[in-house]
Amino acid sequence: MSDVFDKCSNWKDYRIAKATGLYPYFRVIEASHGATEVEIEGKRVIMVGSNNYLGLSADPRVKEAAIKATEKFGTTCSGSRLLNGTLALHEELEGRLAKFLNRESALVISTGFQTNLALASILGRHDIVFSDRQNHASLVDGIRLSFATERKFRHNDMDHLEQLLSLADPNAGKIIITDGVFSMEGDVCNLPRITELAKQYNARVMTDDAHAMGVLGEKGRGTSEYFGLEKETDLVMGTFSKSFASLGGVLSGPFDVINYIRHKSRSVIFSASMTPASIASALKALEIIEAEPQRRARLLDIAEKMHNGFRAMGFDTGVSVSPVVPVHIGDQVKCFRFWRALHEAGVFANPVIPPAVEAGHALIRTSYMATHTDAQLDRVLDTFETIGRKLGVIPETRPTVYEPVQIARPGTSVRSNKASEKWAAGSAGLLADKGGITLEQLQRMSSREVAGKIFDAVEQLTWRAANLQPEDLRQLRSAPMKLWEKRGTLPGLLLEKGAHFFMRNGTDGNPAERS
Amino acid sequence: MALPAEPPATQPALPPLPSDVLVTPVRGATARMTFIRFPASLYAGDPNWVPPLEMERKDFLDPKKNPFFEYGEVELFLARRGQEVVGRIAAIRNPRHQEIHGTKEGFFGLFECVNDAGVARLLLDAAGAWLKQRGLDSMLGPANFSSNQDWGLLIKGHESPPAVMMPYNPPYYAALIEACGLVKAKDLFAYELSASAEPPEKVVRIAEKMRQREGITVRAVNLKDFANEVDRIREIYNSAWEKNWGFVPFTDKEFDHLAKDMKTIVRPELVLIAEVKGEPVAFSMTLPDANHALKAANGRLTTFGLPIGLVKLALASRSIRRLRLITLGIKEGYRRRGLDAILYLDTLRTAHRLGYSGGEISWTLEDNHLVNRAIESMGGKRSKAYRIYQRPL
Repeated sequence: MSDVFDKCSNWKDYRIAKATGLYPYFRVIEASHGATEVEIEGKRVIMVGSNNYLGLSADPRVKEAAIKATEKFGTTCSGSRLLNGTLALHEELEGRLAKFLNRESALVISTGFQTNLALASILGRHDIVFSDRQNHASLVDGIRLSFATERKFRHNDMDHLEQLLSLADPNAGKIIITDGVFSMEGDVCNLPRITELAKQYNARVMTDDAHAMGVLGEKGRGTSEYFGLEKETDLVMGTFSKSFASLGGVLSGPFDVINYIRHKSRSVIFSASMTPASIASALKALEIIEAEPQRRARLLDIAEKMHNGFRAMGFDTGVSVSPVVPVHIGDQVKCFRFWRALHEAGVFANPVIPPAVEAGHALIRTSYMATHTDAQLDRVLDTFETIGRKLGVIPETRPTVYEPVQIARPGTSVRSNKASEKWAAGSAGLLADKGGITLEQLQRMSSREVAGKIFDAVEQLTWRAANLQPEDLRQLRSAPMKLWEKRGTLPGLLLEKGAHFFMRNGTDGNPAERS
Repeated sequence: MALPAEPPATQPALPPLPSDVLVTPVRGATARMTFIRFPASLYAGDPNWVPPLEMERKDFLDPKKNPFFEYGEVELFLARRGQEVVGRIAAIRNPRHQEIHGTKEGFFGLFECVNDAGVARLLLDAAGAWLKQRGLDSMLGPANFSSNQDWGLLIKGHESPPAVMMPYNPPYYAALIEACGLVKAKDLFAYELSASAEPPEKVVRIAEKMRQREGITVRAVNLKDFANEVDRIREIYNSAWEKNWGFVPFTDKEFDHLAKDMKTIVRPELVLIAEVKGEPVAFSMTLPDANHALKAANGRLTTFGLPIGLVKLALASRSIRRLRLITLGIKEGYRRRGLDAILYLDTLRTAHRLGYSGGEISWTLEDNHLVNRAIESMGGKRSKAYRIYQRPL
């Protein structure tokens, strides 16, 4: 008999991570020093793991607006937009955003995630959604909640998109949905080709500009402005939790569509509306975004500095053209160790592991704020270099040449940097761990198979021994010395191997399902 | 009633494709091992088949160990009927070959197949499609993976085991491959030579005369000076083979790798370097036919964890009586001076002195008349023939 809770009590990953000290999530921040530095466990660390791109969450003007709104309207609206939860502030923000985004109408929703869930209301049974495989989870869920058919295309693969479009029923309603800036790899969608295909196949286009609004384009209106394709893009979504220093999301487009969503979407009408403080801070942030373009310029300068800084050391920052600067580590446990070492050295960054990325393509994701000082950034770079060398992610000496990064500055239409072979393979899931045998497999093997495996191992060892060259023997002789020199990193290495073993043998499924 | 004219039978009908056989690229260590172990079941009972060491094959296919992968690209395919493996093939892209010969030729190799033309066609089509995807317009083979390693399909001489580092296959392979529309590109020959028979007097006379007149000295390789000797041989090798059909010079890594492998089986007395006024201008390399020992090991160094194969290998390697003259190269500008005759003669004498009964000279290109005539004049008898096939993609 199985119990719903079985999967929870059988879930080992958390316990392994906790036991090894490599658990990187739900870290408690005790204080913030101007957003660029925070305090964790009484220690001050540089924050390069937040999406506060313009650094406005610590801006006194934004803070003051939030306080004033709270004083005037209280702490919450206590209800849905549909009924008692609409303040003058909500309407003001929607009006200002529609104007800012050059669109007929805008709708603000309590969180960015819910904003994408709201899409479900317009995706009907006979519609087909074409969605990039690396789209954000909220889009995935929004589409899943709808009754529409989903067709996923390979990340930024326009040939694949075209193939899917051409195979689809020509009479069905179609929409192509893509992230503007992809949240983990930091590259930009191929909007020029997407809008071209949309025209050809009579499809609508929506971009999720969560990481692009306030960052891309001359005025900061996001991906469509950056490419000069605002008319061709039907719907734009954005969040307030990143550049807008608040919490919430916006969906903007033609009046009919937005009005329909406003009345039909369950994530709008069955959720309490944005709090007065959130609305007021988003409003103030919008004002600053419009008035201070130098923040965007500084942010992109920082992005370029960091990308090139990492690349010069031998790190791989992949395809990113944005202030999302992912650093390829590869192995998942090494990634945790890297994160842990960063944390101990005073840098807050985020490890990104499967399933958020493909196996063997674990990343340390860093992202920057316009308010980071050069001194802070240099410290981050130095820390990465030291740890990268220690963990063998980068070579002992800097490479003589590196490919400088291209940044998505206004007017350039740069979409992505050329991926290294390693990056491309990782992104396509070709670096997956080769595995080895799990205990479970061992249990299922007959004793003959087990013996076969052991004899194969002996065979391999004998072969290696028979092929030993004099120089190998010399190396062997110096092995104890090397081991002694590396004694500091041994526990980490053992940890890595051990964690791999446990992870292979860990299970997050229901045992009843397996047997 | 007049019968409609038959269409000209330029191309015989291709064998029908079996619907129950699946060809898939090899992914993962288990499938790779299956790929390596397939021949053992296919050749079971064939007295002439020499099982390669599993571990050697594993290293050969390992991109980290085989220097070919530094430039070349290989995809392995397995054909399965249900659970049963019925064939295997490798598709090989060799950019150095393309560059040097200015063609868009790809290769297939490591071909093994049950006697079923349909399966062979599936395999060859899979390799062809993979090569075509990479912009190549014709496929040559079998090649494992290039002319510097073993290549060619044995088409004549199945009655005796292959010499060391020479291919071997069942007689039906030629029919399978030809049924799939592949045609001859080039034939390779192997010659048999006895060390006990006296060399023809005419050859001895000419050789000795040339040795005197040109001031040619022949010496055995000095293994104590291994690195430098390897460099000398490499230089002659790459210059001597330059204009040969299908030849791609070794990269330094490949040559060192091969030299390291050979070092374990080589008899230095049989690796000869000919010098004119102290300058090395020609060399010949003759190896003890290690296949004799390999066969005893039957593919593994250990059985049930015991080093049985290793012991058998060591014991059998003491009773090797045959040799293979594997290369003989003369630098450009020193040819037609009898250097080849001198090297053949000295090899033969040394072999006789060391107690070898004879061996094989292989391989030579069918149209390399100069070399073939020289071997025949030494008393060599053509014993085996190999064929490289080709097909446009």
